Amino acid sequence: MICCKECIELLYSYLEGELSAEMETSLEEHFEDCPPCIAFINTYKSTTLLCKDTLKSNDIPDTVKIKLKEFVDKNKPDVL
Amino acid sequence: MEFTDPTKDTLTEEQLVKDLQAGEMGSFEQLANLYQKKIYTLSFNLTRNISDSQDVTQEVLLILFRKGHTFQGKSAFSSWVYRITLNASYMKLRSRKREPNVSIDDLLPSFNKAGFQQEKIQDWSESTESLLFDNETRKVIQKAVDLLPDKEKVVFILRDVEGLSSNKVGNILEISIPAVKSRLHRARLFLRKKLSNYFWEYKTRKESKGE
Repeated sequence: MICCKECIELLYSYLEGELSAEMETSLEEHFEDCPPCIAFINTYKSTTLLCKDTLKSNDIPDTVKIKLKEFVDKNKPDVL
Repeated sequence: MEFTDPTKDTLTEEQLVKDLQAGEMGSFEQLANLYQKKIYTLSFNLTRNISDSQDVTQEVLLILFRKGHTFQGKSAFSSWVYRITLNASYMKLRSRKREPNVSIDDLLPSFNKAGFQQEKIQDWSESTESLLFDNETRKVIQKAVDLLPDKEKVVFILRDVEGLSSNKVGNILEISIPAVKSRLHRARLFLRKKLSNYFWEYKTRKESKGE
């Protein structure tokens, strides 16, 4: 039976659906008997989502938006 | 876990590049509107500084205005924009005193001789909903990403935050797809561990207060 270490090394490929069917079954058999690995997968997935949500929500501050607009108006090439 | 939508923005981008090459009126403003948020966000996630990110956005827009018409179309236009943005952001970081990077290996999972997990794994994935809006959690997440070594950080930001495909990230950074995948996996493991430590501490703190 495959161990936690191997499962976690293969976790990325497992979640991307890149493993062979046989390998995928081996991992899933391990997960059935291993609550720590299930917790690991859940928190691994949550990490990505939490970080994405947090970092994506950094919008351009309004003061910077105004400055950028002025900059674009001043610097955009004159096209005839 | 695929966040990429390869069809999104492609048409607009194609038309925009054509307009740029033709010196079309209005294409510059449209270009700025389409890209300034991407440029600013990427730069901000790397420099974590508003004024630096504003500078970077202006520098990149200026390059697009002046050199956009010479764009050859060998790779996607957006890849070119991302690459210029990364270079400009790194120039900003170079002039700054650097904080020492944490060794990523210290935060990778540890196993016993038989290959089983050694640490106590707490599943906090169900309790993140209420924490996400918490300012403290947001700061912890940003700080954790800031602590990632540069190579892993840029892959994580482009792939998981910006949602680009592994192919495109490899193209922008000029590294192989297996390298993209391995750096991304290491970044996620590092961040997972950092967040686990935080959620554990958060829970303990709440329990000791009797909440």
